[in-house]
Amino acid sequence: MNIDLNLIVESIPEMLSGFGTTLYLLIISGFLGLLLAILLLLMRISGKFYLDFPAQIYIYIFRGTPILVQIFIIYYGLPQFEYIQDSMFWIILREPTGCAILALTLNTGAYVSEILRGGVLAVNRGLIEAGSALGMNARHRFIYITTPIAIRIALPSYSNDVVSLLKSTALASTITITDMTGIARTIVSKTYAPYEIFVSLAIVYMICTFIIQKFFGFIENKMSNYTKIDSDNDK
Amino acid sequence: MEALTGWWDDFFWGSKVVAEVFIASLGLTILFGLIGAAAKLSNSKIAKKLAAAYTVIFRGTPEILVILLFYFGLAITITSIAKIFDPTVKFIDIPPFWSGTFAISLIVGSYATETFRGAFLGVNQGSIEAAKALGMSQLQLFIYIRIPEMWRIALPPFGNHMLSLVKDTALISVIGLNETLFVAKQAITVTGKPFTMYIFVGIIYLGFSSIITLTVIAVERYGKRTTTVK
Repeated sequence: MNIDLNLIVESIPEMLSGFGTTLYLLIISGFLGLLLAILLLLMRISGKFYLDFPAQIYIYIFRGTPILVQIFIIYYGLPQFEYIQDSMFWIILREPTGCAILALTLNTGAYVSEILRGGVLAVNRGLIEAGSALGMNARHRFIYITTPIAIRIALPSYSNDVVSLLKSTALASTITITDMTGIARTIVSKTYAPYEIFVSLAIVYMICTFIIQKFFGFIENKMSNYTKIDSDNDK
Repeated sequence: MEALTGWWDDFFWGSKVVAEVFIASLGLTILFGLIGAAAKLSNSKIAKKLAAAYTVIFRGTPEILVILLFYFGLAITITSIAKIFDPTVKFIDIPPFWSGTFAISLIVGSYATETFRGAFLGVNQGSIEAAKALGMSQLQLFIYIRIPEMWRIALPPFGNHMLSLVKDTALISVIGLNETLFVAKQAITVTGKPFTMYIFVGIIYLGFSSIITLTVIAVERYGKRTTTVK
């Protein structure tokens, strides 16, 4: 068993041509998922049963089933119904990319909303009480006190979720999308050299993970700039 | 629902495979997690470096890639090893069950490593000192003090790891494991009802997740039975 270095050199540029697709899936579904997560979060903390309960059911279902099943339901499952093929949503659903983005968005939204909720619940009650003592109404308290602190608390977990979203985009290769993993699988089926191809692709993904973590580490650092002085004094 | 007629038993056997993968991978995950945690907490620099590399590699790579690599890679490696002993061997097929179980156990084991490490560090220092004062040996200290305190700390995050294990089982269908998602694919070619079949697979997995979640809650309650409420 020999490692074919030429094959690695040849196939890396080929796999990187799918990087754009991977990045596209990551950014679009990450952004839309965040919007969905905020909506779900507001439903969860609204304190109204008819908003809280549906959000809970949604989160329970999407966190309790494998993302691959969700992708298959959307890509292979939905066209079973004629009226979906006639509806306006067909423009998105007939493309595998649209289906992948939809599935990833719905999935990540459920996870991120729980992360954000954790952040919101961890905000010090005293600060919110101080806000009401200053005469801020509920909306102002949420915008000016809860939100900035909750974001800072939730950011480390959120960066983990972005990494798992990146890893989930590899599943798009199961519905014929030619992202990095999809291209790698095609090369492997042609050359039958799994070690060379998959290990070099794994390294590419690890570099992406590293960049995401550094990026969020940088934001975290920026956002907690003025809290650092406090913690230095504690020491 | 009529579409499912005649497929109930296939889905049942598929669910049995999911359960088998879960049980096998749970054992391996705990094993890998404990080895990883032991390496991270050890004084040896090499062990620490190896454990760090292990967690970085398996947490940064997509699950599907690891599964594919293990399935195709192991087959090639074992075939080439077998050829040394017996040149007539053409190709050895690795059962997807074991390569898949091994792959997802290594992945989730890398997460469990961090959980277990944190839990061992979270063991109350006072309890350890008390045990030493009572003259317990290192082994006794480990069995009677560290383990009972550690698993209570590790259980809530480990519950999430168990959910990942079950959900990753679906990915093993990509390399041909005959679990429920694989059964659904076969059923679809016959019935032509993809939505019904995949939704049913989703319901099965949701059932598995719910059982695990409820079990974790019950075990957590069992773990708290002796601790006093503050």
